[in-house]
Amino acid sequence: MSASLQSEHPKNGTALSRIIQIWKPHYGRLITGGIIAELAVCSGLLLMGQAGSRIAAAAVGVAAGSALLQIAGSSQIVLRYLERLYTHDAMFRALSDLRVWFYRRLAQGAAAGLGFQRSGDLLSRLVSDVQTLDSLYLRILIPLAAAVLTLPVATIVWLKAGTLPGLITGALFAILAFALPMMAARLSRKFGPDILHAESDLRVAALDLASGLREARAFGAEDVLANVVTQRQDVLFAAQRRQSLRMALTNGLAGLIAKAGVAVMLCAVAGVIFHQSAPVAGIAALFVAITALDAVTGLSRAGLLYGQVSHAADRIMDVAERGSQVQEGTSPLPARHDIRIENVTFRWTPERAPVFQDLTLTLREGERAALIGPSGAGKSSLAALLLKVAAPEKGEILLGGTNIAALQNDALRSRVAWLSQSSHLFDDTIRDNLLLGRTNISEDALWAALEQAKIADTVRTLPDGLDTWIGESGSKLSGGQGRRIALARVLLSDAPVLILDEPATGLDADTEKAFLETLNNVGEGRSVLLIAHRLTGVERLDRIWRFENGHVVSSAG
Amino acid sequence: MKADKTIAKAWIKAQGRASRSSTSFVVILGLLSTLLGLMQAWALARTLASILTSHPGNAPPAIGLFLIVSVARTGLSVIQDVMASTSSLIARRRLRSDILARIIGEGPALLRRQHSSVIASTLVDRVEALDGYFARWLPASALWLVSQWIVVAAVFWQNHKAGIILAICCATLPVFQAVFGIATAVASRRQFLAMTRLQTRFLDRVKGIATIVLSGGTERETQALAKSADDLRIRTMKVLRIAFIASATTDVAMVAALVLIVITQSHSLTNSTPELTLTRALYAILLVPEAFASFRALSAAYQDRAHATAAAEAMHALEPIPNERAVMGAIATDAAHSLSITAKDLSFAWNQERGPVIHNVSFTLPAGETLILEGPSGSGKSTLLELLLGFVAPSEGRIFLGGQDMANMTPRQISSQISWIGQKPVLFAGTIRENILFAKPDASEPELDAAISAAAMDRYLPLLPAGLETRIGEGGFGLSGGQAQRIAIARAFLKNAPILLLDEPTSHLDPATEAEILDSLHRLTQGRTVVLCTHSAQARQFHGRHLVLNRGRAISYTEEAA
Repeated sequence: MSASLQSEHPKNGTALSRIIQIWKPHYGRLITGGIIAELAVCSGLLLMGQAGSRIAAAAVGVAAGSALLQIAGSSQIVLRYLERLYTHDAMFRALSDLRVWFYRRLAQGAAAGLGFQRSGDLLSRLVSDVQTLDSLYLRILIPLAAAVLTLPVATIVWLKAGTLPGLITGALFAILAFALPMMAARLSRKFGPDILHAESDLRVAALDLASGLREARAFGAEDVLANVVTQRQDVLFAAQRRQSLRMALTNGLAGLIAKAGVAVMLCAVAGVIFHQSAPVAGIAALFVAITALDAVTGLSRAGLLYGQVSHAADRIMDVAERGSQVQEGTSPLPARHDIRIENVTFRWTPERAPVFQDLTLTLREGERAALIGPSGAGKSSLAALLLKVAAPEKGEILLGGTNIAALQNDALRSRVAWLSQSSHLFDDTIRDNLLLGRTNISEDALWAALEQAKIADTVRTLPDGLDTWIGESGSKLSGGQGRRIALARVLLSDAPVLILDEPATGLDADTEKAFLETLNNVGEGRSVLLIAHRLTGVERLDRIWRFENGHVVSSAG
Repeated sequence: MKADKTIAKAWIKAQGRASRSSTSFVVILGLLSTLLGLMQAWALARTLASILTSHPGNAPPAIGLFLIVSVARTGLSVIQDVMASTSSLIARRRLRSDILARIIGEGPALLRRQHSSVIASTLVDRVEALDGYFARWLPASALWLVSQWIVVAAVFWQNHKAGIILAICCATLPVFQAVFGIATAVASRRQFLAMTRLQTRFLDRVKGIATIVLSGGTERETQALAKSADDLRIRTMKVLRIAFIASATTDVAMVAALVLIVITQSHSLTNSTPELTLTRALYAILLVPEAFASFRALSAAYQDRAHATAAAEAMHALEPIPNERAVMGAIATDAAHSLSITAKDLSFAWNQERGPVIHNVSFTLPAGETLILEGPSGSGKSTLLELLLGFVAPSEGRIFLGGQDMANMTPRQISSQISWIGQKPVLFAGTIRENILFAKPDASEPELDAAISAAAMDRYLPLLPAGLETRIGEGGFGLSGGQAQRIAIARAFLKNAPILLLDEPTSHLDPATEAEILDSLHRLTQGRTVVLCTHSAQARQFHGRHLVLNRGRAISYTEEAA
């Protein structure tokens, strides 16, 4: 926003300025939008100035044409319409670029890991953060730029009513347009997090209540949970009350300053305190003061938005710039697909205990193996390592004798396919869920995959067949059907290695068995690694590893 | 769709009525502010007229009046802002406690229809989104017409010609709104749907980003996303263009009023015009923006109205607050008094179209004995347990707890008799101590310790960073399935209710943990009346009566303990 603010909060200054850099291709449009906005403000000033001076001129007996007044009036209407249209369009172009940029960064960076760890709420908050950034251009930058350009123009008009009153009014305008908003921005930077935290605390309490409805009823403890919600609401409301009081006072102060500016002009015209000005010029200046000061009164409110916007920018940059932990490689894909894990030690973050310690395993091409271990022991991290979502701290993972660190990520992932309970089903048609944007797959191949996943018959009976919309996370399908669609998608990929990461968890016992039996037959010719907390007895396996406390404790098969 | 819209309208109207008293205070302040605006304009006009007609002596008192009125008006607007947000707080508090009562009233049955995150967002985000509706839209919609015509009347009173011009321009507003409004409503509802679909798509693609990256589809998806982001822009602009045209019509009306009044007034002015006539001309001009200000405030709040419609739809998905059932005499609540359970001809359907999921099931379970419920998934075991828990009421038939008809008991009375352990316990954000005490907030320290050791939690508590005070749940320390289930068992020990219902308590555990948990559960069942629903072979160590369900019917029932 301004140099002093940036130096005080270097981190947020850089986050916002980096976002502004991403908008570089749109600078032309964004600046044009600013110019139109400025022209609209000027025509507004001209309109009011003309209205004042015309009446004044008539009253002192000077004839004046009304042409300029009519031009100012009609151009004001047209310009305001164009301004709104153009600035919004420019903003949305910039925002849609920002979305795409953000998505690409998420995909490249640690976010694949984020998605792996299923923090859906964090991701949805980020999406709304991107949305928040439209305030930056429309409600902060544009009015601010307009104010910067208005100041000299308006001051020239005001100086005609007298040097001293002109300068005072100009100074009051500057306070109103720059100093007060900056103060508000500083306030919001300081107090904005209060409301955000109170809101997220309330959200946690509400989620506890909603997901714990059974517990609450069974223990007769509805009041306990409802009271937490009410208490958190009180905290939030207290923060909001403070915020709205600050807003109201800031607004009131801005209103007083604006009226003081008008009063100064009024005194100059009347010859009170200051020397009396020429009536026509003085009245025009007065009318310009009324309009110009009124237009920037709202900027203090925009200043209060600044905190929100800069926090959103911080969070977006924080995630987007979190570099990828894994490096891209260049080696050609090996011909064979034996997997060898050698002395691998791994932890998600340095402060947490290692998930694996000196883990060594071999999965030969075409072999079916299971890694069994207690829930929450971090078995799924193995899938993350094999897919290069995370990199081992020590040791190496070989595919057909080549270290996977040396392979290109996408190439590796075309060889190793992943199915888990958190494989996402998109709010889209069955066809699009299977294709995921691929265009080189025939209708026959789709049906073959559905057949293998034993879901083809069900899809055939649906009225829209492959084009049936499956709802959010496949909500229109049963749990087992959804899992089979995800399986069909994996089978389409032809990858010689399948990682099945708790593929049947969350299904009821019968559905789970049926699904695992299907899995027994789909892996023909592929290597299969099943990761699970227990076996049901129906799995067809060549080898079983038992995993405990970061070590493989026994292997059978 | 039509019916939904009527319901939404009725709900919104009811909201308006409920906040009438606090809103009307804001509206009255708004009217006062309009009146002060009239005085402000008059003071300005009088100052200018006195100067132009060379009576500078009249200027200072008028300037003084202008300053006083300006300060008063600013003060009023501060109070108005604070009052508006207070009235929004009051309304949101009322609404949230209403939603809370509805959610708790419907209880666990609600989870069958709605995902918990949807319920939570109805309770938090939907209500918060109504801030603008209560703080801005309601007062603005009550105020704008009155305020506008007060200004028109004031101008007319002082200056007939200008008053008539202003009245005509103001009267065109509703006409413009009608012409553009109908078309926009139709267009924007369609656009709005498309917009939400595209926004949802972005969110969905972000949530599933791991799936996309791991299937090597990043570049394809990014391209598709760029295309749909652009599509979103074009559609949004279509909606906005119409909204901007609508607000441009306001500009047309205002500028037309201003230009016409200036031209007509300046024609009738000469250098010998009396001061009063000139004052009236200036007064009319200065009041033009004031006449349109209230309508602008309304247009600015229009989006807030849309939030209210969305909230109305979310509210409609919840059941109304139930009436409390007749309270019967209390029954003993400690384990010393075991209770029998009798089910007579139970039938239940979640909804009429799908038909009953429980058909004519009957059984008798004497106090202190165990009933083992078996059957394939989807056979109605969980539903039967929910009936016994009183989460839902049977469509037909009766359940007796210790000889008392459950239909005559309050949910609280029922729950005081029953402990329940499900497949995965819900752990709340808070410490482990708070999570256990949830079952009995007034438990003493020795009681708590006894429950902890009975549930064998003392085996893993010392390994946690802060023992019993370790924070778990959202944002806290993660527990394994077995550790979490032990908290549920400790809750049940602490509650010490005569009846224990177990719904596949070990289905998510590995075999070693399962054996340990079953061991603790076995201890818990001593001296209680137990219904155990299970799939597991290990759980066969429980002895008792067996009831086998298939497609909602009892296909075998053995009264002999086996």
